[in-house]
Amino acid sequence: MEFHKILVPVSGTEADGEAMRLACRLAKKNKAKIWAVYVIAVKRSLPLDAEIESEIKKAEDILDHVESVAEEQDYEVETDLLQAREAGPSIVDEAVERGVDLILMGVTYKKHFGQFSLGNVVPYVLKNAPCRVILYHQPIA
Amino acid sequence: MHNSWRPKPGDEIFRPRRIKRYRLRRILGVPALFSAGYGNVGSSIYYALGIVALVAMGATPIVLGIAGILFIFTALTYAEGTAMLPEAGGSSSFARHGFNDLAGFVAGWALMLSYIVTISISAYTIPPYLGYFWEGLKIDPIAGTATSMGIVIFLMVINVIGIKEASLINIGAAIIDITTQVSLVIIGFILLFNPTVLFHRIFDNWPTLDNLILGIALASIAYTGIETMSQMAEETRQPEKRVPKALIMMIVTVLVLFAGISLVSLSAMTPQELASEWARDPVAGIAASLPIALIRDVLKPLIAILAGTILLIATNAGIMGISRLAFSLGNHKLVPSALSRVHHRFKTPYISIIVFCAVALVILSPGLFAANVFKNMGALYAFGSLLAFMFAHASILSLRAKKPELPRPFKLSWNLRIKGYELPISAILGLVATTIIWIIILITQPYSRWVGIAWMAVGLIIYYLYRRKQHLPLTHAVKEQGDSISQ
Repeated sequence: MEFHKILVPVSGTEADGEAMRLACRLAKKNKAKIWAVYVIAVKRSLPLDAEIESEIKKAEDILDHVESVAEEQDYEVETDLLQAREAGPSIVDEAVERGVDLILMGVTYKKHFGQFSLGNVVPYVLKNAPCRVILYHQPIA
Repeated sequence: MHNSWRPKPGDEIFRPRRIKRYRLRRILGVPALFSAGYGNVGSSIYYALGIVALVAMGATPIVLGIAGILFIFTALTYAEGTAMLPEAGGSSSFARHGFNDLAGFVAGWALMLSYIVTISISAYTIPPYLGYFWEGLKIDPIAGTATSMGIVIFLMVINVIGIKEASLINIGAAIIDITTQVSLVIIGFILLFNPTVLFHRIFDNWPTLDNLILGIALASIAYTGIETMSQMAEETRQPEKRVPKALIMMIVTVLVLFAGISLVSLSAMTPQELASEWARDPVAGIAASLPIALIRDVLKPLIAILAGTILLIATNAGIMGISRLAFSLGNHKLVPSALSRVHHRFKTPYISIIVFCAVALVILSPGLFAANVFKNMGALYAFGSLLAFMFAHASILSLRAKKPELPRPFKLSWNLRIKGYELPISAILGLVATTIIWIIILITQPYSRWVGIAWMAVGLIIYYLYRRKQHLPLTHAVKEQGDSISQ
């Protein structure tokens, strides 16, 4: 499989670094372009363009971290920050707009009511993505 | 792979600063815009009919029609304004650009009053509809008002926490609502419509001139939702095209439906019944009057559940709308930044949500004592909304004169040329009509006069003290810095 454009949505979990490392390894073969995006979900009681300082700082820190992970892999990555009502549709829309070949997402082990759960974003992306999706799932500690 | 993926309503994206790049992305389409606006406007017929009948009696359909014409003027003004200035803030934003910060504040503060009353009135009319299941909710003022207050408190809590709103519920509710109302109109016309009876009910119960004009003012409550659509402009691509389209769709749908419902209502019951027994749940009154038991037994509970749901959505929309407006005003340094403060954990503007819901509860409280709160709320809403609409019309005219070069993707035609400026006739007529009606409300309605003036006075004092403390001019525009809010 050849990938020329890879989108890596990050969310501040431990899986982000590993997902970025994997993306860099996959990208090296064809010198693919990598974008890392973080989506700030804005509640409906705020305008969509509301700038929440704490969220932006957190997002910048996360994107700085994945940039440094990519640097360790000797690879360059572009980062971007989005604000949306929901993360899933914005990731898919980003993939459509950029025409990416692959969405690579890191997933941590989560439980809801005692059951393993992928949350809301991952199932949405899996269902609606216009391209291949790789989920990087960390081993259970 | 899904090559046919299309973003769903509510799938909006915005890019704040990052590596000195800033890109705003908006994806709402016309149907989603229409649903959001209709959700507000469509809900208002569930109480507007009764409020208007309280004063306009037999002239209710005519008064709604006249108010509908004013609604068209106002919607057209908003269409030009929103296409020109696609940002959150509605008439406050128009006034800020058309005049100055003080005008922007006055329009915004008046709008806040109408939002608060929308919250109160929507919540107030839920219990009467649910009275189908337990009569006490309709006939006992304490049970009914306490339920309304409980609804406001519940919605306040969930908005502070910030539960995700499912946009599909809004669209689904709008579709079911339009379908039910169309069905009710068709069934009503088939089973109840009698031109002779209708004629007599209208003209034998004609109101005084004062009440006729008051009825037109109160009927403005039937057409809430223009501001909602304007505020949604920031969430759509090509707002200059989509917002005017959605507004026009809303105008047509609402006018046709409201005309039909109001004529059917006077076919179903006398103006006296509409203004008394069914004042707070007029649509339920129509269903209760249907002669065929099977249809009646299906429609009555359906309308009870539908009205309750739609009005709950409308109450929630009012809370979200006012918190967004307060945030927008805070961003432009028109109100203290405390109202823009966001909860460190929930990321919601909790202070503005709590404060304005508390005011809504205060407005509801006279209902506990079976006071004449319904009509008073209607008049208070008219005070705030007409003032905001006046500023909207005036601002559009001012912008035509001051900034004729500003791109106007949706430019109103039918203009008068005055001193070299092209001024839209609809805005001129809208300004004149809303001003006259607002003045009449001010003169004839003591409750809305004193509460409205007190609200505006409190607002102006807050504005004055805040601007002085911030060393900002009272009238001139503050240069926008794109400041982020602090917690």
